[in-house]
Amino acid sequence: MLVEMAVAAIRTSRLTKDYGSGHGLFDLDLQVSPQEVFGYLGPNGSGKTTTIRLLMGMIRPSSGGAYVFGLDCVRDSVEVKRRVGYLPGDVPQFGSLRGGEVVAYLGGMRGRVDRVMVRSLAERFDLDLNRRFREYSSGNKQKLAIVLAFMHRPDLLILDEPTSGLDPLNQQEFYALLREARDGGATVFLSSHVLSEVQRVCDRVGILRSGRLVQVAELEELRHIRVHHVEIEFAPGADIPEARLRSTLGVEDVRVHGMRVTCSVHGSFDGLLHAIRDSKVTELVSTEPSLEEVFLSFFDEPKHKALPS
Amino acid sequence: MTALLFGLRLSRWGITGFSAVAFVLTLVQTVGFYQIAGHTPAERAAFGRTMSVLAAQFVALFPPPLRPDTAGGYVQFRGFSPLTILFAIWALTSAAGFARGDEERGVLEAALATGVSRPALLASRACGFALALLVAAAAAGAGFVVGLATGAESIGAIALIEACVLLVAIGVACYGIALFAAQLATARAATALAGALLLTLFLDNSLSRELTWLSTWRWLSPFRYYELSQPLPPGGYFDVHGLVVLVGIALLTSTAAALAFARRDLGAPLVRLPSTPHRKSHDAANLPLWRIPLVRGLYERRIGLLVWVAGLAILAVVFVSLTKTIVQVLLSIPTLRGYLSIFVHQQLYPAVLGYTYYDVAELLFAAFAIAQVARWSAEDTDGRLELFLSEPISRASIVLERMAVLVAGALIVTAVSGVTLFYASHYQGIDLNGQRVAAASLMLVPFALVFAGAGSLLAAWNPRAAVGLVGGFAFVSYLDNELATIYKLPAWVQDLSAFKLFGTPLLTGVDNRSLALMLLLALAGVGTSILLMQRRDVGA
Repeated sequence: MLVEMAVAAIRTSRLTKDYGSGHGLFDLDLQVSPQEVFGYLGPNGSGKTTTIRLLMGMIRPSSGGAYVFGLDCVRDSVEVKRRVGYLPGDVPQFGSLRGGEVVAYLGGMRGRVDRVMVRSLAERFDLDLNRRFREYSSGNKQKLAIVLAFMHRPDLLILDEPTSGLDPLNQQEFYALLREARDGGATVFLSSHVLSEVQRVCDRVGILRSGRLVQVAELEELRHIRVHHVEIEFAPGADIPEARLRSTLGVEDVRVHGMRVTCSVHGSFDGLLHAIRDSKVTELVSTEPSLEEVFLSFFDEPKHKALPS
Repeated sequence: MTALLFGLRLSRWGITGFSAVAFVLTLVQTVGFYQIAGHTPAERAAFGRTMSVLAAQFVALFPPPLRPDTAGGYVQFRGFSPLTILFAIWALTSAAGFARGDEERGVLEAALATGVSRPALLASRACGFALALLVAAAAAGAGFVVGLATGAESIGAIALIEACVLLVAIGVACYGIALFAAQLATARAATALAGALLLTLFLDNSLSRELTWLSTWRWLSPFRYYELSQPLPPGGYFDVHGLVVLVGIALLTSTAAALAFARRDLGAPLVRLPSTPHRKSHDAANLPLWRIPLVRGLYERRIGLLVWVAGLAILAVVFVSLTKTIVQVLLSIPTLRGYLSIFVHQQLYPAVLGYTYYDVAELLFAAFAIAQVARWSAEDTDGRLELFLSEPISRASIVLERMAVLVAGALIVTAVSGVTLFYASHYQGIDLNGQRVAAASLMLVPFALVFAGAGSLLAAWNPRAAVGLVGGFAFVSYLDNELATIYKLPAWVQDLSAFKLFGTPLLTGVDNRSLALMLLLALAGVGTSILLMQRRDVGA
């Protein structure tokens, strides 16, 4: 048991999948601890699904390795999948099969399906398993995918954008389910581009951009990364040091509206305070950034990619 | 115009593939004619008589040839007539694919959202298919012309154009019929309904050549109007009335399809059957069959399998009922009577059934295998394979389970059709050797396995191209069997054809060497596919 606890739920070592032309995933070093809920954030095409498919052994790495509970994701893929519940980004088409038949089919392949769990999940999401797959709405298809991922009470849940298509009520239910799974001992690896979702359920977050992991942080840590919106009100007739502000390292987006200046400050406030030290300031307001803004600061402006430590 | 170009863009592989097939088919048949027909008028006349006798065996499929002692007559019979079947299949898949396949994929909804009206969209796709047919028919004509050049012959432009136009006309007529039928059924049943309707119309025409009671209904079949013309042979004829009727059928059915399309809800058939009361459930299906590897695959395919079983069984009954007529035709030729009594003494019925029923069964089992390959390919591209592989099951197990399901399915189909053939023959007073029937029917399984093995390999290598490539392989394999002797190809090349390896088991029993070769080819395909599957990226 102690040995088991010591093994990371997910570990990747310089994991690379190179599709050419700069597309793919590059040199991913990542570790997810057991019972952790890890959010994997990134815009479309950043490599989230590629990572997940590498972990599931669906695609082979160009170099490096991926391990789930110490098992190699390529060599021991069957054993890995015995312990994993997977929710793919796109729910495949099962045509005329009924929802209950899809569950029985895939459950039959797995060999261990907790029928009580299936029923409880279906009831919880009010999913009618007697309907044909082709009759399901996109939300119901997603609910079926959730049932398939959770039905065998896996040790690790790998979920690729799990709430897409779910209405807000069912999203809440899903978050509750995630928390219960974690409390029950499961590890969760969840990809998303919905920051509020990650904020709600994750312990740690990894941010991916253009196939590279740019940051891994505790949720709190991420929120405290020092990107602040600042509004400065100068005293009437005071000299606004606009040129000095613009040239100050870490101060961006300087805008002057009369005696009011807005800017964003990355990292320390020292540079900003130094720039305005000779001017009379009547008001200075610094706004704590939302996770959304932190996220955008990574992806909208390439020059901010390297965060100050 | 954009919708037309979009339709052409979507069917570019169909156009390329069918054009290539049409060109190759007419070319090899024409070149083959000069190889086997002899050079003197006497040799050609003797060849023509032989062809007429052979054609009598296939009267249930194709009309009797006119002047088969000439390149035109021979290619009309062996090139253009089979192309009508091929073009009808193409029309069926294209029409069902547009009417319901694109609908399922959401392509129709996206196209209609741009503001194009339903009739305009349907018309643009129908015109696109007519253009595609024109290209393929021109390719068939080109193949014939090139083939003729090898024999230092030529053909009048008018006759050639007439032959090509007729191919286009039968194609658009079949497209219109399939398009209309596809509006009536649910998306799931659309292809089956349209296919059943076209098959019925085809059999209505072809069987009425032998079954007089059926000839009353022959006017219903578009294939009837195609056959009113045979423009290629010297002294051939072209029936303008037949062409007009074919075009009329195309216009009428396409208009009916447009009206039906305009009136029905997207995703629903024109005529909705009253739905049964629905019982809500939160439970997984309780049937234990889902837990048994081979059985769950068969159970999932149960409807399709039932259709195959019923189709082959009906075919067996039809061929048995035609056999006596065919044999009577053969025996009515004095020169043949002596030949037949020497070489196939007491075995005339097995010989005829072997050449008719089992020849068609071979083609159908190749199609059965290709249909399974199409399913494997779809599983890969639509993400089902990814979900299967998310379960603790190895890739090799997936390949082996697929093959096991195919073998079991083929066994069920061939067992039922074999038993039907045996008892239908017995009922008709034709006593077949039970062991030979069993052996011939069972040989269809390794035969299908050859294509399945190749398909498995191709699906593991490139799932998107697998169906086209395995279809091409089946076509080449068929040509290899048909033409290897004519072109005096080496024995090993002939042995590569599954059609050749199948042999004539009903007449001569199973050739163990051929059986071993078929199993070896299948094994090589499956083994390689397992290796490829282990190494490839799923969904790539």
